[in-house]
Amino acid sequence: MGLPLRKRLSSAVGNTLIILLIVYILAPFLWMIIASFQGENELLKRPPSIIPQNPTLDNYRYVFTGEIPTAYEVKGQLRSRISQEARLIAPALKNSFVVSIVVMVINLLIGTPAAYTFARLNLRGKALWYNFILGSRLMPLIAVAIPYYVIIKNLKLLDTYMGLVLIYCALTLPFTIWFLSLYIANIPREMEDAALVDGCTPFQALVKIAAPLMAPGLIAASAFAFMTSYNEFLFARLITQSIKSQTGPVIIASVAGNPDASYTLISVCITLGLIPPLILAITMRKWLTEGLSASITLR
Amino acid sequence: MSVVRDPSIRRKAKLWDRLYPYVSVLIPVSIIALFTIYPVLYALRISFYQYILTKPKDHPFVGLDNYIEVITSYYFRNSLLNTAIYTTVAVTCITLFGLGVALLLNSKLKTANALKVIILLPWAIPAVVGGLIWKWILNSDFGILNGILYALGIIDQYIPFLANPNLAKVSLILAAIWKEGPLAVIFFLSGLQLIPNELYEAARIDGGSSWKIFRHITLPLLKPILLIVIIYETITAILVFDLIYVMTGGGPGDSTSMISWFAYAEIFKNLNLGHGVALAVIIALMILALILAYLRIIRYEENVGYS
Repeated sequence: MGLPLRKRLSSAVGNTLIILLIVYILAPFLWMIIASFQGENELLKRPPSIIPQNPTLDNYRYVFTGEIPTAYEVKGQLRSRISQEARLIAPALKNSFVVSIVVMVINLLIGTPAAYTFARLNLRGKALWYNFILGSRLMPLIAVAIPYYVIIKNLKLLDTYMGLVLIYCALTLPFTIWFLSLYIANIPREMEDAALVDGCTPFQALVKIAAPLMAPGLIAASAFAFMTSYNEFLFARLITQSIKSQTGPVIIASVAGNPDASYTLISVCITLGLIPPLILAITMRKWLTEGLSASITLR
Repeated sequence: MSVVRDPSIRRKAKLWDRLYPYVSVLIPVSIIALFTIYPVLYALRISFYQYILTKPKDHPFVGLDNYIEVITSYYFRNSLLNTAIYTTVAVTCITLFGLGVALLLNSKLKTANALKVIILLPWAIPAVVGGLIWKWILNSDFGILNGILYALGIIDQYIPFLANPNLAKVSLILAAIWKEGPLAVIFFLSGLQLIPNELYEAARIDGGSSWKIFRHITLPLLKPILLIVIIYETITAILVFDLIYVMTGGGPGDSTSMISWFAYAEIFKNLNLGHGVALAVIIALMILALILAYLRIIRYEENVGYS
């Protein structure tokens, strides 16, 4: 009430803009989720109904049990053949999950000690190693896609978790090490020094003293490693061949790439695939935002 | 902390203490080296040989032929032009989006907190999935965007967004802003939060208008972050692949065939590994030039406290 008209007007414009932005960000997700609860016939109406008239779990039931939704029986013909690949989404997401968790753990186990060494200890050629690690990440991936394939093939790791894990570790470790070394450099070192004087080894000082202090950094680094692995597509597409190792993005792209595929089933695959990153992005929001901010402002 | 008395154990511990820094660094370095040094050398080597996947036994040395053939082809010029247009427009839009939204979020508006909670969602999902969602929203027969525009009476027939060369480019950019914009927002927001409030207050007391404050205080102080965002987004845009793979496949015709997509198509569609890799090396050199600029800006080696 007491505010001048101009100020009220500008905050009204600001709020409207923000609401429009919220719609722009959220609408694509919501539409995908809504679509997954509709029947094929309803979805292919012109225009489609934004609020489902007959919400159904049939599509999910099909993906998990193979029971064909009634909406598919168009003129007595079954369309199940063309969308059968959609049933691979659950095992594919399991593959994604296992690979991403392993990559995350490896990042913590070998990335953290390396970051600690860079931030606190002395070794010969430190700057060289550090620049090599960071520089590696600056290589355009499309340039090395074929050589990566050859390496994985020669290691006999095509179509295995191990092949994906190796590649994703090479892709995520540089960021983890860089990020954590900045993080460690920004926490006071007096307590670790005291522990070293008391006879602790550097590794003990890291585990017992530094690790608890850098917990937020470790959480952010883990989340980044997980998300990078979970979201990666090019190499997953390249080195996986069967559902033994195919990840979520590979199966989703493949189901959707079928020109005849059913849209309801594509949206089920997408909705299921979205659950882990969306949960992560919301629950870890604080750490992810802080981590991203730190990665651009920490000096 | 227990003190080890036995001198032999102590000597061992000392040796391990000296070795430990090297071990801790060399384990990740060896994994990274395996996926850096060998692939780069391998790619460079292949680019000088004729390597056509349908002729697996025949790889003559052809010198720079792959490079010359690729550079002089119509598709190279076309994809370079497409990449230049896409990169310019996408980077401009993403940077303005990031800056604008960050300024909104940095205000004291009540709705800002809700937007802060969800802003990272598009960034968190696979690019392939983001592209698919947009592809389907833009679908020319059943897409919800066409449906809404039609229901509102804005259009009287459905628009084939992805089948028209110009609209396909616009669609890609729309999806790219949605996917990449949030990261730019977070970067700008963290920059804005570093600017001390006193500066704004002092300027306001001196009677500066909002625009003048933005122009003379906010923008200059955001400059380092602005540069990093522009360079990062430029690299991302030049290398765009996942979005094109799922949304347009380089089409219609070759209107959205960007340079990374061209390299992919040479390798996996035309099965000409030599051409594809030569092209990838050219892209790498282009990116390298940008990265040198990037390194000059962040000068990371100084930031960790050693040189």
